[in-house]
This record gives sequence, structure tokens and C-alpha cells, in this order.
Amino acid sequence: MKLILLIATAGALLAGCAGFGQVEPWEKGNLAKPSMRFDADPLDARFTQHVYTSKEAASGGAAVGGGGCGCN
Amino acid sequence: MAATERIGGVFAATLLLPGLAAVSTVHAEEPPDQAEIALKYGYYRDWQPGLDRVKVQSPQLYLLTPFAGQWSLEAATVSDSVSGATPRMHTTRSGATPAMSDHRSATDVKVTRYFHRGSITLGGGYSGENDYVSHSQNVEGRWSTEDNNRTWIAGYGHSGDVIDNTGSGGSVENQHRQTRELMVGVTQAATANDVVQAFFTRSMGRGYFSDPYKDFDQRPDSRRASITLLRWNHHLEKYDATVRSSWRYYQDSFGIRSHTLAAEWVQPVGVWTITPGLRYYMQSAASFYYDPVTDAQGVPSSLLTRRYASNLEGYYSPDQRLSAFGAVTASIKVAYAFSEASSVDLKVEQYRQSSGLRFGGGSPYLDPFRASFVQFGVSHKF
Amino acid sequence: MASPCELLLEGKGEAALRRGAAAAIAEVRRIESKFSRYLPHSVVSRINAAAGGQALDVDAETASLLDFAASLWESSEGLFDATSGVLRRAWDFGARRLPQPGQIESLLPLVGWRQVEWNGTRIRLPQPGMQLDFGGFGKEYAADRAAGVLLEHGVAHALVNLGGDIHVLGPHGAPGLAGQPWQVAIERPRPGVSGPLATLAIERGGVATSGDYERFFELDGKRYCHILDPRTGWPVCEWQSISVVAANTTAAGALSTIAMLKGAQAVDWLTAQGASWLAVRADGELLRHPPLAGGQ
Repeated sequence: MKLILLIATAGALLAGCAGFGQVEPWEKGNLAKPSMRFDADPLDARFTQHVYTSKEAASGGAAVGGGGCGCN
Repeated sequence: MAATERIGGVFAATLLLPGLAAVSTVHAEEPPDQAEIALKYGYYRDWQPGLDRVKVQSPQLYLLTPFAGQWSLEAATVSDSVSGATPRMHTTRSGATPAMSDHRSATDVKVTRYFHRGSITLGGGYSGENDYVSHSQNVEGRWSTEDNNRTWIAGYGHSGDVIDNTGSGGSVENQHRQTRELMVGVTQAATANDVVQAFFTRSMGRGYFSDPYKDFDQRPDSRRASITLLRWNHHLEKYDATVRSSWRYYQDSFGIRSHTLAAEWVQPVGVWTITPGLRYYMQSAASFYYDPVTDAQGVPSSLLTRRYASNLEGYYSPDQRLSAFGAVTASIKVAYAFSEASSVDLKVEQYRQSSGLRFGGGSPYLDPFRASFVQFGVSHKF
Repeated sequence: MASPCELLLEGKGEAALRRGAAAAIAEVRRIESKFSRYLPHSVVSRINAAAGGQALDVDAETASLLDFAASLWESSEGLFDATSGVLRRAWDFGARRLPQPGQIESLLPLVGWRQVEWNGTRIRLPQPGMQLDFGGFGKEYAADRAAGVLLEHGVAHALVNLGGDIHVLGPHGAPGLAGQPWQVAIERPRPGVSGPLATLAIERGGVATSGDYERFFELDGKRYCHILDPRTGWPVCEWQSISVVAANTTAAGALSTIAMLKGAQAVDWLTAQGASWLAVRADGELLRHPPLAGGQ
């Protein structure tokens, strides 16, 4: 519950910032850079996610249905 | 509401002219311009005091290609070779721990169809080891606003697993597990230099969750988890660098609550890119996790622990992965671009897990755990 | 077209790109020959020749453009008027001469979209001497149509520039710049300082600029430019230049032209239309909307 409140507050604060979310087409140069993407290196992400899933209890969060791991 | 798209004005009038609507709107997502093939070789090894190392060699192949105009195909396959010993009960030395050698093969394929304002992806995967097979299917849809500053995402995934170690002399035969996941999220271009992402996932699993190789391990037959993920990419004009940060909060019906905080600094230097990174992870123990039992001298005793465990009822597990601990990863990745189309990269990571690294302390009497992994990859667009 | 025009295309497969470019150029020439008032057999010239006479049937494309002219007349509250071209006769920018006494008064009765008899299929200019011209949006329409032809030919990285009316069709496609927006330079309205007024990074859409420096003369310290108010016949020179970025060039051009005519209310009107613009006031002050984030 506290968590939802925290996220909602953060969201409201961000949305209140001047010009939040109103990026014009000619301002998108930097956003198009590969380093600004969230899926820049898929194999890197797969490998490290597999390592962490086998050594830690938490898994997932970024995509669905990636199949299970034999490491119960 | 984005610029020049107010209904009733001059812009709206231009859309009535022949042929203008087609060139006047921005496509939300497009298939990749080029196909890409990538190879990566990963090497992992871990160790704990007094135990043999586990080593994993992991070659991976990746392919991404547009086809038929508005479609793309993405496929990846990995073939892990695992060797070494895995810890038995907790981490106390329990005599001879059998060496283990295993092989894992996994493939997944995704097909995406692109539309004017969004896209839909259908995917399927297979993962197999000598004691475990998993089949998965997933569907994901993305839809963007007219100004492309916000993209909504929703996804559903299902996986069916079969666990069976009778082939290697075990006693777990033909156990099943089904997991369903639902995810909703949004990606928002916040400013000319910021993109943020928020995802919420709910996962529901039913079936066999116990560890087939552990004695005195009895887990619930269902596991429900909620995961919140926030990501933020910020471009720094002054350094031409990008700072990528993320926070993931995970909680499940086993009683585990965990936080993952990660940050990376992507720094281009000519045709090189250097990316140092730091990750901090911490989790609470599962509600049914039990600590080792100590003897009169306060030293953990495997005999006393087994005696204690044999009298337990309900759910119980000594698995270190379900204990309370914290972990830190330090990483550095160096990439070199031969050309616009080809690049090579090397990433080295050091991981350390221990109960002492958790804020507020972790489960007692567990040895710290260390791992290092290296990835070497080449990628080519054509 | 009187001004220099260029198409920049990038991508793979030169033969296909050349075919696309040829088709786009053909489309621009088609529109010019169909709607230019300088060519005697164009649709516009035939409508003007029939002024005071019979109504004429027009085809679907001409009908759409006439409807568009009507909607601009309404959106601008009468400032954008496709019949205001006759006022040019009073102004000789080459000879740098003010209108003769009474000259504007004699031309004003021929100006007024309100008088035009347009029922959606047939058009008639009721008085002899009335003139229709699509100069306020013709070149911009051609730029968008050319971009449409390129799109149909599978071109994904192009910039169409018809004398400063620009349509950007996708980001750069050349190696080394792939994915990067095109850098569009906005001209300085006054000579003296070198370099562009501003450079906009544009990945897709239309850019057009209206300025008081294209055709003008100065007399006794006052500037007279070619932006004429159809209600008075006299120039409106409250802005040195106004550039608009929109999702297509026709909208960018119409918005910038109307803004120049709006004078002091230009920027409020543009902002109310939801437009993104960059303007230089008569006193030289540079304004823009939305404001730049951080540095230039």
C-alpha cells in the first residue's frame, strides 16, 4: 500500500514538471540514440537475467513468459 | 495534446487534401531497418569457501530480421554447459558432494506485426535440461499516442514445466508446474533527454516448486508474485553519455520481498563505448526458510539441523536462495564499433552475495557466495 | 517553380531511389502546371479567365484545394484570402515604388473570398478582373504530395525542399547518420550576421517560413514587404520571419502565412492552433514555442 502511494506521488510530481512528456518531433534526436533504448543488448540481458534467476529468489519484471528455469 | 494536432484547426483541414493524411502522421513503431545477427560467448563461475566451483560455458546466437514490410522475426538460442558441484543443505560441508555435469538448451522465437500506432508480438520458447523441460508462449501488444511520447504495453505469458530427475537416479518423477504472467506498463518520453518506464507484473504459478535435490525441503504448490519495475534513461549532453537506472520491487507468496537497484553509465569515447555498472540486490527470507541449528559451541551442525528438519511440518526449506541476503555486482563493458554495422564487446562482472550485505542483516550462518562472469560478443547488421 | 528545389534521398538500392525521385519530381511538375497562375492553360488561369462569365466545373483535386482555401479564410478570420493576389498590381517591389493614389481603392472591390461562388463542384468569380491564386499553399502542397509519392515508392529517408518549403520523410538513412534527424537550417531574415538563425533537428514533418525579406523595399526608413492585408491592401510587417514546424508542409506554410498577417496576435494564434514555431519580431527579438530545454 505504501509502495503504491510512493509511486503515485512520484508520478504526480513528475507529471507536474513543466514540459513533462511534451517532446516535440525535432527534439527527439537524443532519445533516438541506441544507448537510450531499454533493449539495447538482448543477449547481454538474457545471460545476466539467467545468472540472477538461478542465484536469487526474485525473477522477471521486464517481459512476460520467458520460460522457466530448472533451478527451483 | 501534441503540437499541430488539434482538431478543427488548420492542420485538421490539411488532412482532407488528397494524399496528405498518409504523410502527416508519425508511425509509432517500425520494423528494424536492417537485419542483425549476434554471437555471444558467456563464461560463468562461482565459488563458496570450501566448495568446488560451478562453471558454466554459454554460447548464444541471436537473429533479428524484418520481413514482408510490416513484420519482424527475432530468435535466440543458447546452449549452456554446466559443470561443478552444487551446495547441499545450507552451505555446510556435508561430506562428498557429487560432481554434477549438465547441459541446458533453450530457444525462443518472436514474431512481431507492426501497425500504424503500435505492434503485436507472439512468442514461444523451449528450454531443456536432463531433468527439466519448459515450454512457454507469450503475447505482447504495444500502442503509442499520436505524438509518440507515450507507449502502453500489455503482455500475457504462460509456461508449462516438467521436472523429472529419475534419469539420473533421482526420485522426483514427472512433476508439473504451470505459470501464468500478466504485465502492464508504460514508456514515456519525459523530456528531450529522458525516457522513463514503469511496468507492473503479476505472476501465478501452480505445481511443483520444491528442489528435487534437497532433503528436508517441502514448498507450497503455488507461488504468486507481484513485481514493480521502474526504469529511467537520462542523456547527459555535457558528456554525450547516458545514465541508465532501474529499481525493481518483488514480493511473492513465499514471503520473499526484494529490491533490486541498478545503474549504468554509458560513455562513448570515439568508436569505443565504456559502460561501468553497479547493481545492488537484497531479499528477505521466505516465510518457511529455516536457519541452520548450532551446537553448544554456537557452530552450525548439519546433524542437529537434519534432526530439527525431520520434525518439521507444513512448508520448510534450507535453500540458501530463499534466505535473507544482499548482493552487489560491479560490472564493466567495453564495446568497439568497427563500422556502423559491426561491433564487438566484452563485459566483465563480479558478484558477491552475503547475508551481511543486506540492510538490517540477513540469515545467519551462511557462507558468502561469489561469482564472476564474462561475456564476449560480436554483432553485425546487414 | 521560380525558386530552387531539391530532393535528398538516402537508403539502399539506388535504382529504386532514382525511380522514386523521378516520380516525385513529375508530381511536383504536374501540380505546378495544373495550378500555376503564370501558365495560361492551368486550372487556375482558366478560372481567372472566366471571371465575370460562366461557372466552371472542377475536378476532385481542385475542389479539395478550393475547400481548403475556404477553410483557411475562416480560420484566419478573412486574413488569408485566395483572391487577394490582384493587390500585387499596386505594388512594384522591383521599382521600389508605393502605390499610385487611388490604385489600391480601385483594386479592393475585386478582393474577397466572400464573393466567390463555390458550391463544391462549380466555381465562378463574379467580377471581371478577379483573380484566384493558390500561391499561399501551392508549393507546400506540392512538397507534401512529392513526399507521398516517395513514400509509395518505399523511400524511408528523404528531405523534399521546394524553395524553403520542406517535408522531411523519416530520419537520415546514410551510413554514419542512420536514424539521426535531418538538420534544417532557418535563414536569418536580415543580412550581416553569418550562419543560420537556428538549426532544427527534424525527423519527420513539414517546415515552412514566411518572411518580410523575400520581396520588399525600404523607403524613408520603413520596410514594405509582399505580405499584404487583403482588407487594406497594405503590407503587414510586424515580423521579420515566422517559421512553423508541423506534421505536414501544407499546414506549416498556411500557419506561417496567416501568422504573418495576424501581426501582433501572431504568436497567440499559432499557440492556440497547437503549432510549434520560431519567430523574429520586427525589432529583431527571437521568440520560440515551445521554449528550448536547457541550452541551444
